[in-house]
Amino acid sequence: MKSFCGKMLEVDLTSGKAKNILISEEMVKTYLGGRGLGARLLFDMLPAKTEPLSPKNVLIFLTGPLTGTMVPGSSKFVVVTKSPLTGGWCDSYSSGRISLELKKAGYDGLVIHGRSNHPCYLRIDEKGVQIREANLIWRKDSFETERILRESEGNAPVGISSIGPAGEKLVRFACINSDLYRQAGRGGVGAVMGSKNLKAILVKGSQRIEIHDRKEVVALNRLNHKRAKQSQVAQARMKYGTPLTLNITHTGGILPTMNFQYGTWEKALEKIDSIGVHKSITAYKACLFCFTHCSFETRINEGKYAGGVLEGPEYETLGMFGSNQLIDSLPTIIQANILCDQLGMDTISAGNIIGFIMECFEKELLSSKQTGGLEIRFGESEASLAALRMMAHREGFGEIMANGVKVLANYIGNDSNRFAMHVKGMEFPAYEPRGAFGSGLSYAVSPRGACHRRAWPPAKEILGGYPPYTIEGKAEMIKALYNENGILHSLLVCDMPAKFIPMSLDDYSQYWHAVSGESVSKEDFLKISERIETLIRMFNNREGFTRKDDFLPYRTLHEPLPDGPAKGQCIGEENLNKMIDEYYALRGWDASGIPTEETRRRYGLLGENEIQ
Amino acid sequence: MTIILNVFGKEFVSKRPITLDLESPTLRDVFVTLQMDHEGPWNRFLKKDLSLHEGCIVLVNGRSIASLEKLDTVIHDGDEITFTVLVAGG
Repeated sequence: MKSFCGKMLEVDLTSGKAKNILISEEMVKTYLGGRGLGARLLFDMLPAKTEPLSPKNVLIFLTGPLTGTMVPGSSKFVVVTKSPLTGGWCDSYSSGRISLELKKAGYDGLVIHGRSNHPCYLRIDEKGVQIREANLIWRKDSFETERILRESEGNAPVGISSIGPAGEKLVRFACINSDLYRQAGRGGVGAVMGSKNLKAILVKGSQRIEIHDRKEVVALNRLNHKRAKQSQVAQARMKYGTPLTLNITHTGGILPTMNFQYGTWEKALEKIDSIGVHKSITAYKACLFCFTHCSFETRINEGKYAGGVLEGPEYETLGMFGSNQLIDSLPTIIQANILCDQLGMDTISAGNIIGFIMECFEKELLSSKQTGGLEIRFGESEASLAALRMMAHREGFGEIMANGVKVLANYIGNDSNRFAMHVKGMEFPAYEPRGAFGSGLSYAVSPRGACHRRAWPPAKEILGGYPPYTIEGKAEMIKALYNENGILHSLLVCDMPAKFIPMSLDDYSQYWHAVSGESVSKEDFLKISERIETLIRMFNNREGFTRKDDFLPYRTLHEPLPDGPAKGQCIGEENLNKMIDEYYALRGWDASGIPTEETRRRYGLLGENEIQ
Repeated sequence: MTIILNVFGKEFVSKRPITLDLESPTLRDVFVTLQMDHEGPWNRFLKKDLSLHEGCIVLVNGRSIASLEKLDTVIHDGDEITFTVLVAGG
């Protein structure tokens, strides 16, 4: 099968040894790559109930079968591990040159076990891996780390992923940075890397990536490029980027405001929305091999943080550091984003936690005496930025903040867990589910915690024909969205070209054939996606997750939204339970959320380890 | 009556009030009037038969017309009509 290397590099940091793991074509046809292959590998390799920050946890970097092949949006990778934030399955996605370089070095991915007894980094090429001392980069932020490593390679094109101080300090939502401004953000994958004393991974490959029919790939690209130029969606998105989403979520009443107390914020308009951000754009950026550039560079032009440069901010950061904290200063949000990138923290989790703390101050459940003199209140920009530094270094109150909003709420008590906005310990992203009930179901049943990537329900409930405040048809809707994105995330192609050109699973089936020489129909893809989702469910079941973990915060279920189009709406436990019952049944899982034997047999999941 | 228009596409309009000489119109009536009397980027979302171009959506007070009465949705004084492209993610 072309484009697929057939092997992964396995490194044991405890022993310092490395070897290749062979991956069969049959494995790829059964699970694809990315999330799918990651699910199979993690399930087989990781003993149940392994402590996420122990040397026994496994950290897996995966490419996809389309990686490095000129397919638009294919320069992505996923990090799969057991999350220190949730204690369960974690798949965390990023763009980055490292995906291409791994393939060029002859590897479909990288499996990391153990713990080095000193800070180290990996240097990988087609000859194998060197485990090198990281004295010069340990304690450095991610930007400085990349700069030093690139200089060490004579600034040749290489792929670099690294952690910042937050990963070193095992902040439970620490991320892995690549190419400065790209992050595998969610779930604390940076903390797992830090727990292994692994500061960075540098990959330099030189092999050609074989494609079955290069001319066909080029022809498909020409066709889809033309479609992108004609698409109003793609054109708008390329001009404004994801900040355009803020105008939609505000209009639809699902913009998280003041720690999800409200769903709209007029002050965001023209300041931190499409128009506000557009004024600060200095350049547009695209990932490798993508012709629907969706990213951009911004610069802070005046004030205390003048000169700060960022690729971003994206919608999630605008939501979680903007409306969710009542901060309408774009320079502050850009600076917060820069800090998170340098220090290596997920902006969604960090922003959510700070919003929660702001509400605790508002309700007098916290005081500046507890936070080392810092008054962290809604709208207080400097306090928000100071809180970030405390978190990243686990200084003072940061020691508790660094463990996530669920742990923080348990510490504060006083029913603060009612407005600690998380699922399974992972903080809500920037969509208010009371304004779109399907979003609530999606958050509740997501195996990695509250997730905005497995499905994007606002496309159906705010922008489509599904009534947003009802439960009918939502289980089927979420399953269908999960299944489609499950394939995109296993082929490891970006959501953006798929949604904006748009490109369907039939289109990706054509690319798959052009790249690999194999034929697979949309129906085949969907069956694979079902298999993957069931295997991930089995992983979480084995870790002790039950139906009770598929739940939503008290605020979402019982506190009606006070404003916007969804004024008066909350989901309610009965509605949530009905949606979950229906979802489980559609998946072939029993009422407890455990895949039935019949379902497991259907997807070939009654067997043993398949790793050679 | 006055309606508030938003356009979220390659062209961008935020909270623009437009006065229409209509009483209890449907969205269809509003579209016809906009096409005839009020040139603006909103008209780039509509075809001649008032259907929407691919990937274009209309919201009334934050609700997609696909989940309301579509072109038969009744429009009231002060209603906010948003012409938007299909966005996703962030």
